[in-house]
Amino acid sequence: MPIRGLKGGMLKFLNDEDLKSIHFATLEILSEVGIKMEHKPALEVFTSFGANVDFDNSVVKIDEQLLNKALSTAPSRFTLYGKNETFDVKVDPERVYTIGGSSALNVLDLDGNYRPALFEDLIKFTILLDKLEHLHIMHAIVIPSDLEEYGVDRMLFAGTFPYTTRNYYSQSQTGADGVLDQIKMAAVVQGSEEAVRKNPMFTEVVCMVSPLQHEKINSEVLIEAAKNNIPVYVEVDAMPGGTTPAPIAGTLVEQNANVLAGIILAQLVKPGAPCIYSIASGLMDMTSGGYSGAAPETNLLHCATAQVAHYYNLPFQGGTGIDAKIPDAQAGYERAMQVLSNALAGTNFIHLSFGMMEMMLSASYEQCVIDNEIMGATFKMLKGIEVNDQSLSIDLLRKVGPKSAHFLTFKETSEYVRKNYWVPQITDRNVWGSWKAMGGKSMKESAAEVAKKILSENTEPMISREQTEEITKLAKSFHSKALERLKKKNE
Amino acid sequence: MSISELEIITNNTEKDPLSELKRSITIYDKELAVNSFKKLMMEKTNPLIILESMTEVMRLIGKAYEDDELFLPDLIGASDTMSAVMPLVETEIHNSGAEVKSLGIIVLGTVLGDIHTIGKQMVGTLLRADGFTVYDIGVDVSAGKFIDAIKTYNADILAMSALLTTTAYEQKKVISIMEKENLRDVVKIMVGGGAVTQEFADSIGADGYDPTAPGAAKLARKLIGR
Repeated sequence: MPIRGLKGGMLKFLNDEDLKSIHFATLEILSEVGIKMEHKPALEVFTSFGANVDFDNSVVKIDEQLLNKALSTAPSRFTLYGKNETFDVKVDPERVYTIGGSSALNVLDLDGNYRPALFEDLIKFTILLDKLEHLHIMHAIVIPSDLEEYGVDRMLFAGTFPYTTRNYYSQSQTGADGVLDQIKMAAVVQGSEEAVRKNPMFTEVVCMVSPLQHEKINSEVLIEAAKNNIPVYVEVDAMPGGTTPAPIAGTLVEQNANVLAGIILAQLVKPGAPCIYSIASGLMDMTSGGYSGAAPETNLLHCATAQVAHYYNLPFQGGTGIDAKIPDAQAGYERAMQVLSNALAGTNFIHLSFGMMEMMLSASYEQCVIDNEIMGATFKMLKGIEVNDQSLSIDLLRKVGPKSAHFLTFKETSEYVRKNYWVPQITDRNVWGSWKAMGGKSMKESAAEVAKKILSENTEPMISREQTEEITKLAKSFHSKALERLKKKNE
Repeated sequence: MSISELEIITNNTEKDPLSELKRSITIYDKELAVNSFKKLMMEKTNPLIILESMTEVMRLIGKAYEDDELFLPDLIGASDTMSAVMPLVETEIHNSGAEVKSLGIIVLGTVLGDIHTIGKQMVGTLLRADGFTVYDIGVDVSAGKFIDAIKTYNADILAMSALLTTTAYEQKKVISIMEKENLRDVVKIMVGGGAVTQEFADSIGADGYDPTAPGAAKLARKLIGR
């Protein structure tokens, strides 16, 4: 049976008026200011639908009619496929899921060392994350420093896809060729390229530039993915006060114009192509000029963007890494506020929510386990409260009457607790003496124990060794071919 | 997994009284428990078999609680149901003159001034499930009553519970009286309850302390060297 997530959306910072204002502002920007698209074929798609394209400046202006026409085919619900049905995720604009990842350059390892990530870390993190209950989609969490960077997405595929049961969140650094190479690698497990195109076990993400620019490679990947029925996360990574206007509403408008332009392109290329409205935006810290994933303003922005995406009936990916460097109090509060607010706001994919620290520059093994716990508590709150004749317990209260009673001893309590209780795994609720007697461990220490145990008990891929070797062989070959092409281009 | 074994017992459709007795413990039905026991007596069932069946279920419940599959209300519900039948079973065993293989004899009670029972009851049930003979002498138990019970039952272990910080010191009083009566060396003493800590237990000279009911059962085995 597939995974059907809990529903969010109770937290609303914007009202209907606000959403309409944002929509109209977006229409104005899209139709009168436009989006720069460096990829000529993308502009040509728009021309073929009668849009206003300035080829000299590579700017397309999209009017309301074209927007409505294109978005009318964007699906509001679809399935993201795992290695088997148990890990299929049913996507819609209401349900809340999580994505791991991504792209950290450094690792805070279990010996306490801060060091560059290695390919071995990618595999180990993936194995660890795959055992964490509340992770739904797998994204490569580190970029190995022991591999050549150009085309490394092929090797990320080999280090992640075989080791996970989940749908794999991929990307192509080099353009359309990356999508095609990844289809070939997925086919090793799915049987044929046709099977991959029918029920792909992976997706692509394209990251647009703010303000209002689509780089060549991203449009190329978007188009190729749409053509091949690979779902695309159309993502914008705004920095309010940096690359977009400081007021959150201004950033909402820029994000909206930027993301919708990408989704519209996908629909024009292939009506019905599954697209996810995505952001990994973060506040610009006004002291350092750096990116803040965990600032309260960032949380507000992500929660509000969920509402904007849902205004168009599109599923939404939000969430980003936290700013803390180590699994300390900062990490705890940052992650908790971030994922709880996003879940309540109905963010359909809470991205980068396991282990990502230091503004997405490093990944921590312990934090992965801690974040899983925080997510468990979050989902418990997301489940909400049932009010019905049974839960109101009127008959029980009448039976007990106005005298001392211990509800612990009633069968009604044991039935309720068994069905509804959230069991913390590494959260300690004992008094000091008992906690001390059991080792007096910090949450970080308990998390380290869990991580070490999982890693020592699990070392094998989730597919066969032969398939893993085949995929790795292909990945290495595709990677070196991409590097060859780059070399030739630069000569 | 203990919980799946328990589910088999709960969902068993066999209506024979032994299956029904086991099932009654998993669904916390005291009436069913007592009625099933009576039917088993009419069929002249060996009370030792009844005891073993009940303690088997209680062991599974204790394990499921330790594994976070079941929770406090379940432990209480099950031990409540067991308490409804255990005295009847023990009487039958005594009357039949059968030898019960017991790990040891434990006198259990809540100290003077303290009337909390739930934790003590769970400890008693789990100790019985583990194979101990337990004499639960109730709540608000004076030092004198504890000493009398130790002598009457020839106890190997004295287990005292205190939930209030004001009553925990009774445990110290009992221990010092036992020393005066030369009983301290022949009886192991374990203490527990919400007001008690390892430090407190050490300071009053107890032999052992555990914060949880399943832990208490393990501690008892340790104290008698099994």
